[in-house]
Parts: sequence; C-alpha cells; structure tokens
Amino acid sequence: MVHLGGAPVLRGVDLEVGSGERVALLGPSGAGKTTLLRAINGVIVPRSGSVEVQGTALRNLDQRRLRQIRSRIGFVHQDHSLVANLRVLHNVVAGRLGRRGFWSSLRDVVRTSKTDLVEVHRILERVGIGDKLFQRTDSLSGGQQQRVALARALFQQPTILLADEPVASVDPTRSRDILDLMTELAEEEGWTLVASIHDLALAREFFPRVIGLRNGEVFFDGPADALTPKMVTELYSLDGLDNAGKLDGEGASKEQDG
Amino acid sequence: MAKPLPLAQRLPTRRVRILTGIFLAALLAFFGLDLNLGDLIPRDSGFRLVLEFFGAAFTPAFTYQSSTGLPEGTSPFLFKVGRGLWTTLTYAIAAMSLSLIGGMALGLLASASFWERRHPLWAVLRWAVRLLIAAMRSVHELLLALVFLATLGITPAAAVLAIAIPYSGTLAKVFSEMLDESPREAADALSYLGANPLQVFLIGRLPRAFPDIAAYSFYRFECAVRSSAVMGFFGFTTIGLYLRQSFENLHYREVWSYLYALIIVVLILEVWSSQLRRRFVA
Repeated sequence: MVHLGGAPVLRGVDLEVGSGERVALLGPSGAGKTTLLRAINGVIVPRSGSVEVQGTALRNLDQRRLRQIRSRIGFVHQDHSLVANLRVLHNVVAGRLGRRGFWSSLRDVVRTSKTDLVEVHRILERVGIGDKLFQRTDSLSGGQQQRVALARALFQQPTILLADEPVASVDPTRSRDILDLMTELAEEEGWTLVASIHDLALAREFFPRVIGLRNGEVFFDGPADALTPKMVTELYSLDGLDNAGKLDGEGASKEQDG
Repeated sequence: MAKPLPLAQRLPTRRVRILTGIFLAALLAFFGLDLNLGDLIPRDSGFRLVLEFFGAAFTPAFTYQSSTGLPEGTSPFLFKVGRGLWTTLTYAIAAMSLSLIGGMALGLLASASFWERRHPLWAVLRWAVRLLIAAMRSVHELLLALVFLATLGITPAAAVLAIAIPYSGTLAKVFSEMLDESPREAADALSYLGANPLQVFLIGRLPRAFPDIAAYSFYRFECAVRSSAVMGFFGFTTIGLYLRQSFENLHYREVWSYLYALIIVVLILEVWSSQLRRRFVA
C-alpha cells in the first residue's frame, strides 16, 4: 500500500512485469500512475507491501544500493526533466551520473572526454537530433527535448525504462513519432518499458499490455485488445472517484511486485 | 451551503493590518526625527555653495584648479584621476574576488537545496552558517574599516577585508536564496537516475541559478567600486581620498571630474554586464 499524506494512493496493487515487456499504464489523473512509477524506482516506499526490481527488494536499502539500482532504471518525465540552460551534450552525459564518482562526473560536464563525445553524438543521431549536440537544451522544441531525454536514457544504458506521461506535453502529431522511437529503442536495447499514457489509442497502438488504474486499484490488466469500450468508459467514469478522499488506511494490503 | 473560504476571508484584513503597520512605522520615524521640510532649503551661505558646487558640474576640471602650492614634478591632473580610478578598481576587484569565494562557499552551505536528500542533522550546520552570514552582514564596511584601521593601520589589506566581510555575507544570503528558488524538476530527474546528492545539486540545480548569480555578482561589483571609493575618506589612496581633498580645498570642478570618472566606470560595467546577461539568457 502506498500512502501520500493521509489517504492511500495505491491499494492492493499486485503486479508483475516480465523482463522486456512493454506496459502502458492507463487511468484518469489521480489514479496513481505516477505514484506506481515512482514506487518502482524507489522514490516512494510503500507503507506496506514490497517492490522488487530484478530480484532486489527496494525496502530498507541504503542510499548507495538504491542509487545503484536507480542507475539501471531510466526515467522519462512529462517535461522539465532536463537542465534547461545546459547544452544537449551535458544533459545526455548526465545519464551516467549514477555510475560515476564525483570528480569524474564533474569532468564529464566541464570537459567531456572524446570517447563520450563520440558516443553521445552517435546516440543523438540515433534519436534523430545529431545536429543539436552543442545547442542549449531550452532552445529545442518539446518533442526534441523528449528525444534528448531518450538519448540520456540510451547513454545511461538501463535495463528498465519508466516513462511518466512522456508525450503529454508534445503535440499530437509528434507524439506518435516519440512513442514510435521509444518502443523501437526498447526493443533494440531489450528494455522493460512501463509508461503512463492518457491517450487510449496511443496506448493500444504501442503497448501489448495495458494496466488500467482507477482509484489506486488495478481495474484492468491484460492485452490491449481485450479492453472493451464499456471498460474504458468505466475506467474514466467519475463514479467512485468522489470517495477517494474518504479512503483510510484500513484498505486491503497486498504485496506488490514491479 | 458550501464551506466558508477561510483564506479568502482572512487575507484582506491581514493585508490591511500590514499596510497600517508600515504606515504607522513611517509616521513614528518622521515625528521621532523631528523632520521639517523647511530644513531642505539651504540658508544664505549654503545657498551660495550649492550654486557654486552645481555650477561646477558644467565645467569639470581637466587640469589642477589652482597651481599654487603644487610641489615640483606633480603629475598632471588627469593622470591623478586615472591613478585614483585604477586604485579604486583594484581595491574593488580584490575585495570582490574574496567575496565571491566566501559568498559562494557560504551560500552553498546556507541553501536548503544543497542539503536536500541528506541527513536532517546537517540542518544544524546550515543554521550555524546562516547565523554567521547574518553576523557578517550586520556591520557596514565603513565601520569595519574603522576597526581594521585601528588594528592594522592604513594597509590595503584593511580596506579589502573591510569590504570583503559584509559583501561575502550579502552574496551568500542572496546566492542561497537564488539556489533555493531555482527550478528543481531537472534535479529531481537526476536523482531518479541514481545521481548522488552532490551531483544532483551541482549539475541539476546550480546551473539553473547561475545566470542570476552572475548578474547579481556584477551588481555587487558595482557596489564594491563605490565602497572602495568611499574608503578613500579614511586615507586609502582610492579616488575618495582625492575627492575629499579637492572638496576641502573648495575645488569643486575637480570634485566633478572625479565624480564623472566614477559614473563612467559604472556605465562601462553596466554595458558589460548587460551584454554578458544577454549571452546567458539567450
């Protein structure tokens, strides 16, 4: 069970995501999608239940171990996740901070090594913005910035990529391109991909498995095709949401695996 | 019935109370000081001095106003202006360099964002630093100069230290606030990737505050030039020394030459800093 403040945000969530799977989290805002993603990389620790990543339980880990695990989990956010007034190069290089000592990470930003420079450029070419290497990040469009975020994840070399509404701030025509690229990269690199998406059509198109969250509980979990229009209406209906504030800590507590 | 809106109801009265308080404080100060607008009109002799002084503004001196009593081999007047200006700048640069180091170090330690993701006990150190900063700021550089003059004598170190101590405190306070107000989302994202607290702060947070920090430092440098000029009143060989001497000799045209020289320096700094700022922000 995950609490934020007083009321539980997630209850009885019992999920298992296999290695290399691509999962979309669907659900109205406030359903607990972001909270679930943050629980997977240990930013939020559930009050009861457990989260395991590749066989390691995240509870009671010391900061060092937790950082080690996080360095293998990429995270793409809706927006503002890049240091706006640094160059694209430096934002991408920051992907490996979790595995760098303090001095070498400082050198990465002040004076990037030739090998890293070549690698970053290759990665930027892969995500389609090779020419932006030395540009200031805030001079790029929203879609291009998400490509930088993906490049940072590529440079990080994770095994899992979490994405919190990665295309919510990108215009609809570019959204498809970004998701196309993201799922393609996940396949190439063998990433396990868990992304929250609020566009149902996009979720269906790019993700074989869809998990619907409603009121902090798993409402649906299965192949995208099995999601009927009636279920979708129910998933997003406002009924029951009004009770959200009244939920107390007495709800069923279950183990959760991520 | 909808619930009452406690905040909306309380806000106006609170605002009125604050404004009334400020107004009362102003009244108190005025009557306490026995301020009289009539005092602002100069009396006969003062009036003549005002005319003479501001009249000299249109004819600043390019040579010494009177050659009597000048020792043999005295360098030309404009040379003296240049030398005074140069000394003023070197004092300001020396003081500002020390202040930047002190201000940055103390500013980091005083900011909340630096200690984020660390053990809560570190707050003790942070508050100790904030206390130190407050103490450094609370004594004006002129008062410190008096103290250092008495203990060190007229050495440049006395003036530089006198400026650097309160300036470090002010820079540290403002830097720490700028750091804490800088956007935090990117820093959070770095901590999600496994970066340690120091990396998160230096790479995710500090760069966002940097343009503001640079702009404020420039402004403080301008202030340091002024402070260093005033140090001349105590006998340090900055432009203030020459300015005071000319004033005491009633050489107002010379006074204006020094003042214009200072204004030109501040204008040059202004142009320079706005150019740099454009580069940072664009």
